[in-house]
Amino acid sequence: MQYQWDFSLIFDNLPVLWRGVVVTLHLAAMCLLAGLALGFVIALMRLSKFAAARVFGRAFVEFFRNVPALIQLIWFYYAFPILIGAQMSPFMAAFLGITLNTAAFSAEIYRAGIQSLERGQWEGAMAIGMGRAQILRRIILPQVFQRMLPAFTNRAVEVAKVTSLASVISVQELMYQGRLLSSTYYRPLEILTAVGFIYLIVIYPLSLASMLMERRMARNQ
Amino acid sequence: MPYEWDFLAVLAQWPLLLSGLLGTIKIAVIAIAAGVIVGGLVAAMRLSRLWPVRLLGTIYVDFYRNTPGILHFFWFYYALPVLSNVSLGPLEAAALALATQSGAFYAEVFRGGIGSIRKGQWEGAKALGMIRGQALRRVILPQAARRMIAPFTERSFEIIKTTSLASTLSYGELLYQGMMVASITFRPLETYTLLALIYFALLFSLSALAKWGESRLQAY
Repeated sequence: MQYQWDFSLIFDNLPVLWRGVVVTLHLAAMCLLAGLALGFVIALMRLSKFAAARVFGRAFVEFFRNVPALIQLIWFYYAFPILIGAQMSPFMAAFLGITLNTAAFSAEIYRAGIQSLERGQWEGAMAIGMGRAQILRRIILPQVFQRMLPAFTNRAVEVAKVTSLASVISVQELMYQGRLLSSTYYRPLEILTAVGFIYLIVIYPLSLASMLMERRMARNQ
Repeated sequence: MPYEWDFLAVLAQWPLLLSGLLGTIKIAVIAIAAGVIVGGLVAAMRLSRLWPVRLLGTIYVDFYRNTPGILHFFWFYYALPVLSNVSLGPLEAAALALATQSGAFYAEVFRGGIGSIRKGQWEGAKALGMIRGQALRRVILPQAARRMIAPFTERSFEIIKTTSLASTLSYGELLYQGMMVASITFRPLETYTLLALIYFALLFSLSALAKWGESRLQAY
């Protein structure tokens, strides 16, 4: 017997799915901003003159890149509250886990970007009397920022996808709403397929932007 | 009152954790092997001379790159049986989800490697009378393979990390068994910390091994 598709319930439940999209975007935007900021600090530590800061930066990056993101979320939800002796909302746990994860990956983007510039730029700036922080702010970052933009956009794509893991600790984002609806209506095929397409619609423009930026940079070189 | 750490209670459950580790390794090996086959096929599609085949390959890759992995796990476990009347166990569903999504990423690795070889190599092979398949096998791939190694290992590490999502389908890999241990011992802090350390040790030693292997290959 042919399966009877029924997409009408998707349209009936669009407000529920929309609420999920809003939470997904909210979580992704917060994690991306906080992750990029923290990642910059970690990158500075990795490029620091002090061995202790370099070791810490390296350990941070290696640890968060070599442990699955899902474990990090679960750890912040179930284990971290015991350590600090306070309950934590699912959203907060997801925010912390994804932010630290994003920071580790974006630290590597900053580091690779900063190191991609020839040493002469540093030496030249030093010769006219600038300090390290000044050189970084006035000479290095303005030149490498554009080079790093596609990589950051790719990171945004990854962050948007990773937020779906927050459904496991019951953050009510898109994936969570999809799972809830599919168990309520016993229509997993239509609902999960629709959720897939909603993710595609949300995320694809970012991928496209990153691809176009890369293409333009390749042409300019 | 400071928290009293007790890793011994958690370590006492080592048989569960060991079976979880084996479950992780098993599904990772299946997913990587199947992913390479899918990836090879999709890369061949994307390099095809027929545009509908190329388009299909592009859609496949773009779809998987722009949707979250956990969705594919749920889709294969809950939605596919509705469509096809075949019911999949957690291992089969998770392996299918992993293999199809890693296929999309491997396809990009293969395509990137082949694309990085200069056109002159193809033309030279053609001038010697080789057809496309021969040129690919004898001239292009041997050169491209070396450039694919680094992105290939990077993708494989992503797959190993993604196997943890199989726990949501209650397949007994490391995370799922760890959740059992946490509920048996009432010690989530120690359990999940230990789990993170096990994953770290596994992936960090594998990446050290991969780096060593790469430097050996580069020596020639």
